[in-house]
Amino acid sequence: MAHSGPMTDWRKARLPVIAFLAPATIIYTLFMIYPLVDSIRLSFYATPSGGEAAFVGLDNYRTVLADPDWAATFWNSFWNNMKFFAVHMLIQNPIGIALAGILSLPRLRFRNSYRTMMIMPTMLSVVIVGFIWQLILSPVWGVGADLLDIIGLKSLFGPWLGKEGSALITLSFISVWQWVGIPLMLIYAALLAIPDDLVDAAVVDGATHFEVFWHIKLPLVFPTVAMVSILTFVGNFNAFDLIYAVKGALAGPNFATDIMGTLFYRTFFGYQLQLGNPHLGATVASLMFLIILAGVLFYLFAVQRRLSRYQL
Amino acid sequence: MSFKNIRREDASRAVIVHGILLTYTLVALYPIFLVVINAFKTRKAIFRDPMGFPNAETFSLEGFTKVLAKSNFEVFFYNSFTVTVITIAIVLLLAAMAAWALSEYKFPGNTVLALYLAIGIMVPIRLGSVSILNLIVDLGLINTLTALVLVYVAQGLPLAIFILTEFMHQIPKDLKEAARCDGVGEFKIFFAVILPLIRPAVATVAVFTMIPIWNDLWFPLILAPGDGKQTITLGVQQFIGQYVTDWNAVLASLSLAIIPILILYLIFSRQLIRGLTSGAVK
Amino acid sequence: MADLKLDQIHKSYGAVDVLHGIDLDVKDGEFVVFVGPSGCGKSTLLRIIAGLEDITSGDLMIDGDLVNTKSPRDRGIAMVFQSYALYPHMTVYKNMAFGLKLDKQDKAAIDARVREAARILQLDQLLDRRPSELSGGQRQRVAIGRAIVRQPKVFLFDEPLSNLDAALRVQTRLEIAKLHQELKSTIVYVTHDQVEAMTLADKIVVMNGGNVEQVGSPMQLYHHPQTRFVAGFIGSPAMNFTNVRIDKVEPGKVTVSIPGGTPSVLPFDVDQNELGKQVELGIRPEHLSLGDGGELTVHGEVDVVEKLGDSTYLYLKLANGDHVTVRAPGHSRVKIGETVTASASAGAAHLFNGNGKAFAKVDCPAEYSADE
Repeated sequence: MAHSGPMTDWRKARLPVIAFLAPATIIYTLFMIYPLVDSIRLSFYATPSGGEAAFVGLDNYRTVLADPDWAATFWNSFWNNMKFFAVHMLIQNPIGIALAGILSLPRLRFRNSYRTMMIMPTMLSVVIVGFIWQLILSPVWGVGADLLDIIGLKSLFGPWLGKEGSALITLSFISVWQWVGIPLMLIYAALLAIPDDLVDAAVVDGATHFEVFWHIKLPLVFPTVAMVSILTFVGNFNAFDLIYAVKGALAGPNFATDIMGTLFYRTFFGYQLQLGNPHLGATVASLMFLIILAGVLFYLFAVQRRLSRYQL
Repeated sequence: MSFKNIRREDASRAVIVHGILLTYTLVALYPIFLVVINAFKTRKAIFRDPMGFPNAETFSLEGFTKVLAKSNFEVFFYNSFTVTVITIAIVLLLAAMAAWALSEYKFPGNTVLALYLAIGIMVPIRLGSVSILNLIVDLGLINTLTALVLVYVAQGLPLAIFILTEFMHQIPKDLKEAARCDGVGEFKIFFAVILPLIRPAVATVAVFTMIPIWNDLWFPLILAPGDGKQTITLGVQQFIGQYVTDWNAVLASLSLAIIPILILYLIFSRQLIRGLTSGAVK
Repeated sequence: MADLKLDQIHKSYGAVDVLHGIDLDVKDGEFVVFVGPSGCGKSTLLRIIAGLEDITSGDLMIDGDLVNTKSPRDRGIAMVFQSYALYPHMTVYKNMAFGLKLDKQDKAAIDARVREAARILQLDQLLDRRPSELSGGQRQRVAIGRAIVRQPKVFLFDEPLSNLDAALRVQTRLEIAKLHQELKSTIVYVTHDQVEAMTLADKIVVMNGGNVEQVGSPMQLYHHPQTRFVAGFIGSPAMNFTNVRIDKVEPGKVTVSIPGGTPSVLPFDVDQNELGKQVELGIRPEHLSLGDGGELTVHGEVDVVEKLGDSTYLYLKLANGDHVTVRAPGHSRVKIGETVTASASAGAAHLFNGNGKAFAKVDCPAEYSADE
C-alpha cells in the first residue's frame, strides 16, 4: 500500500476517535467474535440429559472424529466437501479466468453487456439457483433432456440429482454455474489494471493474444488468482444453502451430498428422530473453523508471501 | 474503414471470441429465462412445450394467483426489504466512522484493531451460530427481524470497513487540513467533509453488503423461521417445499424471487463494476 | 535495415479524423523524428507503423512490402515505449529474450544476442535484476535492449526520454545518437521536444492537427520554415512574430513597416496583390542584436530580463503591444524599464501570409541558409 498511514495524533481528539470506533467494534465483537469464541468454548462442554453443562475436555471431538456412529458421517462430509472444492478449483476458476481474459481483449465490442449477463447468476440466491436447476434436471419436466437433444447428447441424460454416484458432482456443477461470476469479476478487474503499454509491448515483441495472456497478463494477476482460490475454499467449506434447498438436511441420497455445512446443521438442530445437540454442533463448527483457518493460514504464509505484487 | 485494411486473422478471431462469449452468456442466462417464461404458462404448456414462449393460448397467470393466495409473498418481500435496507444503512454509517478513525488518527493499537476487524472477512460468521442463537434467545429477540439485522450488521462490517479504509486513504490531505485550519471540529469534519466524499465507494459497499443478506437462507432458518418473519429466500424455500408438485406455483414463486433481483442488478451493475475496477477491492 | 513509405495514411476513430492523409518516405538507415504538440497525431502515426492501430485508408510499406494488414510481429519492427513497458515479473535477461523465445529461436542464439545487446548498453551486471530494482535510466536502456535484440528493420521510439530527469535525458539522448551511428538502423522517433528532434534527427517531420506541416533536415526547418507553425515550433526561445503592413512590392524585394520601427526592405518574392495587406514578420531572438546595425530595427521598452550567463534574454514591448525577445550577450547591462533598439539583418527575416504560409526568400545569405 502506498499511503503513509494515519497522520493525526488522536490525543487531540480522544472523544471523537472513541465515538467513531466504538459502535462498529461493539456490534462486531458481540455478534461475530464472541459467538465464534464461545462456540469453541461450548465444544468443550456437554449437557447430560436433565443436567447442567459440564466441562468434558476433548470428549466431543473424540466423538465426532472417532466414534463409530459419528466418524463415518464426519469424514464422509469432509471428503465430499473436498470434492466440492476440487470441482470449483478445477472448473469454476479456470472458466472464470478464461472468460475474464477474453473480456479483457483489446477492442472487444459489447464487453460490458457480456460481463453484465455472465455475472447475473451470481446475484441470485443460492436457494433459487438450486430450485431452478432442480426443475431443469427433473426427469418429470424433461426440459434438460430436450436441451441435451439440441447438441445430440440426449442419451446421456439421467436423474443425476437423484443418483448416489452423480448427485454431488451435479450439485458442484450447479454451484460452479452460479459462482463463476466471482473469479470472473475479480480477475477481470485485476486484468484491467495492467497498463495497455505492457500488452502493446508484448504484441510488438511478437506475442499472439493468447501468448500475451499466458506469459504477461496471467503471471501479473496471479496474486488475485490466489486470493480467488482462498475465497473459493472458505466459501466451499462454509456452503450449506444449495444442498439444503435441493436435497434437504439429510443431504441424500444416502448422505452422498452431505458436506460440512449440512452436517453442522443436522448436528446442531437435529433431524427426524435425532435431537439436536448444541455442544456437538459447536464441535463440528469448531472443526470447520480449524479447516478454514488452516486454509487461510496456508494462503497467508505459504502462498501470499511468495507472490510479489508487481507495481504496474 | 476500407475493407482491405481489415486483417483476416482479426475477423476470424472475432468470430471465435464472440462465439465463446455468446455461448457462455446463453449458458448463464437460459436456465433463468426458462423458469421465467414457464411461470407465465398453463400447466399443460409447461410440459408440452417447455422451451416455447407463452402465447395467447398458453399464457396463464394461475401460478402467480396461487402463490399470492397461498403464501404471504408481500410479507416476505417486506421483511427482506426492511432487513436489507436497515442493515445497509447501519453498516455504511458505522463502517465509515470506524474506517475514518482507522485511516485518520494515530493511536496505540491502530494496526491491531484494523486486523481484528478484518478477521470477519475470512472467517464465516455462520460458524458461531450455536452461540448466536443462545445470545439472541437471551436477548429475547428470537423470531424478530432485529435479530437478523444485528447479525447481518456484524457480518457486513469487516469488508465494509476494509473497503472504506482503503478508499479514505485516497482522500487528499489538504481537504481535511483546510477544514482543521478553519477550526472545524472533528465530528463535523467527518459528517460534513468526509461522509459526502465517500459516495463513490458507497455503491460498492452497499452491493457487497446487500447480496449475501438478501440471498441468505441460514440465519432466517435459525433465527427467524416463524410465521410472518420469513425473508423472501426462506419463504420461497418453505413454499416450494410445501407445493413441490404444483409446477405453476413453483415456477411463479421462483420468478417472483428472481425478477426484483434482476431489475436491481441491471440498475446497479455499472456501479458494482466501477467500484470493483477502481481498485476499491484488492 | 529497411526503408519505410507512407502513402496517404488516414486514421479516424468513428467520426473523428486524427490523421488526414500522411505521405512520407524514410530512407534506409535514416533517423526520422516526428515532432509536434500533444494531440497532433504523431503517436498515433507511430502506432500505425508498429501495427498497434489499424489504418483507415492509405498504404504503409516497410522494406517494399505492403504491411497494412500484417500484425506487428510480421513487420520487422521493434518499439521502445514512453513508459518503457518492461515486463515487471521478468528479469532483465528475460525481458530482452522474450520476443526471441516467442520466435522459437534456439537457446544459444538467444543468449548470444541478449548478451551482445547487454554489452552495447552496459547492462551486463543487471541481467538478473527485475525492472523494479532498476533506476529510470537503466530501465530505459533495457527497453532499448529489448528492441535491439530483435534486430528489427525499423526501430520505433515513442517519447522515450520524457520520463527521465533533465541530466539523464541529455545523456541518454547522446547514447541513442551513438547507437544509431553504430547500428546504422532506420529509426522513427516521436517526441514533443524540439531540442531532441533537432539533435537526433536526420530528418524531422513536424506535425500539427493530424497533418504534416513540413519535412526536412533540422537546419532546413530552422532556416527555411515553410509555415508560421514550424517557424514558431522549432527554435528556442521561439521566433518573434509581429504584424506588419506591406507598403511596397518590387521584384525580389518588399518593403514593410514595423510598428515602432522604421520601414525596411526585405528580400522576398511577394505577389503584387499582397500590397497593403497585413502579414506576419518573424525573426529569431538570436538573430537580433542591440543597436541599429541591421536593416530591420525595432524599439521597445524592456519588460523582463533573464540572465543565463552566456547570454541574456531581453523581453521588449513594442509600440503595438507585441513582445519581442532579443538574445543579448551575457555581459549585457540593460535594465528593466529601459527603452532599447534592436536590429537584425534583412536576410534573417521570415515573412508569412495570412494563412501562415511562408513567402519565398531570395538570395539568402549563407549564415541564414541550410545549404552547405
